Amino acid sequence: MRRVTLYVLVVFFLLARVEVSAAADTILIKNGTIVPINGGAKTTGDLLIENGKIVKIGTRIQAPAGAKVIDASGKFVYPGIVAVMTAVGVTGYPGAGNDTDEVGTSTPHMDPYDAINPEDECIEVTRLGGVTTVQTISGSRSVINGKSVILHLEGDLADKMLVKRYVAQIINMGAREQNKYPSTQPGIVSFLRTKFDQAKEYAKKQSEADKKSQKDKSKKGEDDKESPAQRNLEMEALVPVVTGKVPVIFITTDEVTIRNALEIIKEYKLQGIIRASSGILKYADRIAKENIPVIWAGTSAIPQRWEPFDLNYHTAAVLAEKGILFAFDPGGWGPGNRNVRDITTPASISVAHGLSEKTALEALTINPARILGIEEEVGSLEAGKTANVAIWTGSPIQGRSRVETVIIRGKLIPMTSLQTRLYEKFKKIVNERMKKKK
Amino acid sequence: MDSSSRQKPFKEPLGKKRKEVDMGRRFIVILAALAVAANCVWAQDLALKGGTILTITNGTIENGTLVIQNGKITAVGKNVKIPSGVKVIDVTGKYIMPGVIDSHSHIGLTDVNEATDPVTPQIWMWEALEPGADSIRKTLAGGVTTVKAMHGSANVIGGVNVTIKLRYDRPVEELIIPGIRQQLKMALGENPKRVYGSRQRSPSTRMGSAYVARKAFIEAKEYKAKWDKYEKDKASGKKDLTPPKKDLRMETLKMVLEKKLSIDCHTYRADEIVWIINFCKEFDIDLLQLSHCIDGYKVADVMADAGVFYGGWVDWWGFKEEAYDGCPYGMQIMHDAGVKIVINSDSPVEGRYLFRVAAKVLKYTDIPENEVLKMITLNPAESLELGDRIGSLEKGKDGDIAVFDKHPLDTTTKCLMTIIEGEIFFDYSKESVTAKGGSQ
Repeated sequence: MRRVTLYVLVVFFLLARVEVSAAADTILIKNGTIVPINGGAKTTGDLLIENGKIVKIGTRIQAPAGAKVIDASGKFVYPGIVAVMTAVGVTGYPGAGNDTDEVGTSTPHMDPYDAINPEDECIEVTRLGGVTTVQTISGSRSVINGKSVILHLEGDLADKMLVKRYVAQIINMGAREQNKYPSTQPGIVSFLRTKFDQAKEYAKKQSEADKKSQKDKSKKGEDDKESPAQRNLEMEALVPVVTGKVPVIFITTDEVTIRNALEIIKEYKLQGIIRASSGILKYADRIAKENIPVIWAGTSAIPQRWEPFDLNYHTAAVLAEKGILFAFDPGGWGPGNRNVRDITTPASISVAHGLSEKTALEALTINPARILGIEEEVGSLEAGKTANVAIWTGSPIQGRSRVETVIIRGKLIPMTSLQTRLYEKFKKIVNERMKKKK
Repeated sequence: MDSSSRQKPFKEPLGKKRKEVDMGRRFIVILAALAVAANCVWAQDLALKGGTILTITNGTIENGTLVIQNGKITAVGKNVKIPSGVKVIDVTGKYIMPGVIDSHSHIGLTDVNEATDPVTPQIWMWEALEPGADSIRKTLAGGVTTVKAMHGSANVIGGVNVTIKLRYDRPVEELIIPGIRQQLKMALGENPKRVYGSRQRSPSTRMGSAYVARKAFIEAKEYKAKWDKYEKDKASGKKDLTPPKKDLRMETLKMVLEKKLSIDCHTYRADEIVWIINFCKEFDIDLLQLSHCIDGYKVADVMADAGVFYGGWVDWWGFKEEAYDGCPYGMQIMHDAGVKIVINSDSPVEGRYLFRVAAKVLKYTDIPENEVLKMITLNPAESLELGDRIGSLEKGKDGDIAVFDKHPLDTTTKCLMTIIEGEIFFDYSKESVTAKGGSQ
């Protein structure tokens, strides 16, 4: 019996290996301008990809047998863009196809993993824009929204796309309820404190129950231990947050919500991340001092009447100046925004208004990877990292630059999407009708 | 005083070629002209020297000079002699283009949607115009000089839009462009369906919207026939005539039938685009722009034949069901079919950087740069029937200018100056956060 099991396992692993090597291509990108990000210098050279990983960056790399060779002369090789706070994979078709934003003021246990649709058209459209990895969130309209996951935008099953399951919890400091508690900002703060206190209490009880059951186990050595405290999925999702194991992104709307988020982060010793769209500069010094990462979503937000027209255009430059780790946000989420590829626009605006191009590119790649703890895997072109690569005709911050090649996990991505298919289809239809008219 | 004469002095400046201008109004116009001449508030003389001039209609002039006198462009070229007494601004190394035009905007308005009835042509948007609105000031910073401030899309037949120059915080008469034909807003598809369907009212379907539009224009034709007969009888000297009852909704639609107003229709789906084109043919009314027009590329040939402008975004898609087939590559199909393309913001956000939005056309299509620049200048000017006044840098046209530090289709550029008829309305060096000694 044991031998059969072993045999099955060996066959399984062999098959699994075969599958990996069939999926991942050996690719040699030749003579491109390689922009590695993460401190690496821009060079003209080659980049070799094997088994889903970047193997080597250099000059005159010999193509291994069977390698696909891509001539990137005159082209620019960048790491794939990492987009935070998206709903790619769970937005689906507008209306009933959308699965973001479960009902409830506190739904920390909602997990986008449970609703990822690998056929979501948004996946192809987004990756054709050079975005190869996304953080997909469960929603944003509740106070405590849910978990978020990291996906590579490639794979026919959700499990194949998944990089990390519970990467951060999402809290919205501005999600006031209507006609019920919490309907005010102090109400939201108090609501969060109550939930976090409960979660700490729950964690304590669980660990006591665990200890007790272990003691009982060692005493009796049998399975007749006492059952642990009753499970509460909401609290279970908050435990890693209050114990500082999972980061929490605070969606803020103004200086008041930022201030309160900072207080809560300090009070509960959370791994806090501030997502801001307004009012961030008032707290920039404190954020820098407390080493809190920022997801900057306000580049194109319209400043207040009394504020200069370019206050928000210029904010990323100030964040950089103060040494704050920040990433750009595509500027919206949930059912409304499937245009994640346009994440390059806030970067362009920021560069026009004082941010260095170098930092802007970092804020699209390595910075979001760092903020979400996946910098070992993606965000730059370095040997050993996952081969998520895009070949552009120019800098991604130029609106006119095109993405000509996308590689995700070492796999060459077909450059087609819902939109390229619509284009081909209707180009033909319109042309045929026009011919007939003549 | 009946309702029509009460309305008259307000409505007249919006109609085109109205012959019977009453004496009172003529007097006001003369008075205003005198006041302007006396103060010289808006017509300034200005020369921009040393910049790269993107004329749109006559190529690019390196190291050129552009002269504005009395609000109009009087010279554009390489070797232009600047008349004495004209204020000179050195723009060496900078780019000069016509002021950006946004022919679908909702800025500067206190109200947008009279969402109480699917047919509200009695609504005139200039009556919601707030010249001191901050949205106007913020939009000026993006090089924008002219916008069409529009009614919303709740109603199948909405209100009459107003085309304005962004003379921030000036009297309303200085914003409204006089003597042009304004456009009535219509809307098809999901919005009217949602607004009225959710109240258990008609229209709750596309069929219902079609019926609502057709019914209104049939009624308007009957209304017009009654008034035409009355006017004819009156002119032939008949006595004891009773005028037909005035109806403000019908008055506006009568103006549409008389082509004193034209139509801008909000559409998404291809079938709606074809439907409204046929509808306007049926009633012999002028359809100038299809706004949003997500599926325009699918029926590019039909749009080209109808001579209607595409007015939409570049890469927005999927934010609702009828926007699901949004396709930035589709602009190529429209361009090849001969459709005139206008890029609109429909938003106070993107309206501040339409030049940056336009640059993305170069990502998705092979349309030449100058044709892309036309999408935010000459094409919207033509869609507003202002192609002879604005949208390019030519002698005789309005001195509406945007100055940029780099080529406007380089997305790391910024607008440095916005000029309307020779007067500077935005100056980066005065309004930037960096000019005020850095951030807070």
